[in-house]
Amino acid sequence: MQAEPESTSSTRVAVLGTLAEFHREPIPYDLEALIQLVANLKPDFVCLEMTPEQWQQQDFGNLPPEYREALLPLAYQTDMVVVPIAEARPPAEPTASGWRGWLMGLCRKGLASIQRTAPNAAAVNQGWRHDLANVLYHLIAWLAGGQVKKEWQMHRHHLAHQVLELARRDPGRRILVVVNVRHCHHIRPDLRKYPDLEVVQFSAL
Amino acid sequence: MSTHAPTRLIILASAPLYQAAWQALLSEQPDIVVAGVISDISNASDFLQSDRPTTLFIDHSPPLSSLAQQLKTIAPNSGLLFLVDSYDLDQILPLLQAGATGCISRDEPVAELARAIIAVGRGEIALPPSIAARALASLARGKSATGDLIELLSEREVEVLQLLAQGMTNKDIAQTLILSVRTVEAHLRNIFGKLGVRSRTEAALWATKHGYRPQE
Repeated sequence: MQAEPESTSSTRVAVLGTLAEFHREPIPYDLEALIQLVANLKPDFVCLEMTPEQWQQQDFGNLPPEYREALLPLAYQTDMVVVPIAEARPPAEPTASGWRGWLMGLCRKGLASIQRTAPNAAAVNQGWRHDLANVLYHLIAWLAGGQVKKEWQMHRHHLAHQVLELARRDPGRRILVVVNVRHCHHIRPDLRKYPDLEVVQFSAL
Repeated sequence: MSTHAPTRLIILASAPLYQAAWQALLSEQPDIVVAGVISDISNASDFLQSDRPTTLFIDHSPPLSSLAQQLKTIAPNSGLLFLVDSYDLDQILPLLQAGATGCISRDEPVAELARAIIAVGRGEIALPPSIAARALASLARGKSATGDLIELLSEREVEVLQLLAQGMTNKDIAQTLILSVRTVEAHLRNIFGKLGVRSRTEAALWATKHGYRPQE
């Protein structure tokens, strides 16, 4: 079997974070801004944190509006190919009782506040909002206990592995990974381990 | 790294109100640039450029087949997308034979129209897959079969060819195989070379003639 046509050695990958879990919170910015941002990037692939089953059945009801109302319709009518990268059973949102639960609630309020005050889609991907969201998610995972932390870690490894598989399947293309902000700081280093991937800022994709 | 240039769109609509409506609607769609709006085919050549994918979207009253023939003469390198009342093979086949690249029903949503405009600009047949497969089967009747070249094709190229024969656009093929559109295009160029055909329509007809039809 011959090699894939037009393959080159390096695949560019950018990871874009969303605060998707707060999709029930009002989003202050227009999703049009996210559509415009991704439409301008024109990636070859857009990897989304959804299960292959959700994709095959076109079951988008439980997906966040960033996916459902912005990225999936955009990908449908452009050349972007959607790649579902979540495993069949992704970990559930962590919960805890007592003071841990109370602190978790506080962290979530902080995250929701970051979401509410973000002026645009790019704001949660850079600067203090991006870092603070990461710290709060770290704290939530720590409060939930070692098992939950391990599950999330495995989930991130799975996401990163799926991106790697995609890059090896069709090398030399431009991949945009759009996942919850909680994964950004973990997936990027995971992906950087592979010499055939070039991890860049989304604006440099 | 280069990405696809936006598709240039020329709208041919006889009624001024429709012209304005199509322009307002389609100029907002990603990867589409409305390059001109005309009411008569005599103005079409003013907007045609051979170096960019161009689609002529035609919302016109019948007879459409003769219009397709005239437009194909004026704009041989542009894709012709006709707005039709329904996907009726009796109407679609003469249009394809006259030079149309695709048809879109008035009942389709805007996203479908935008996809069809982009696909047609690249010379892809834009029809619903079930209609495209039937149209290809009808067009393939009477074509002489060439030698069996299938062994020259790679496993992936056979997959691409099968999906092409189902009437899929490059985007649909790419999404089905989880490959980029540009990789699908590269596979198609290889396929055209190996089969000795010049267009995707010829390749699809070859595949249909040789039984590379969808697994129904």
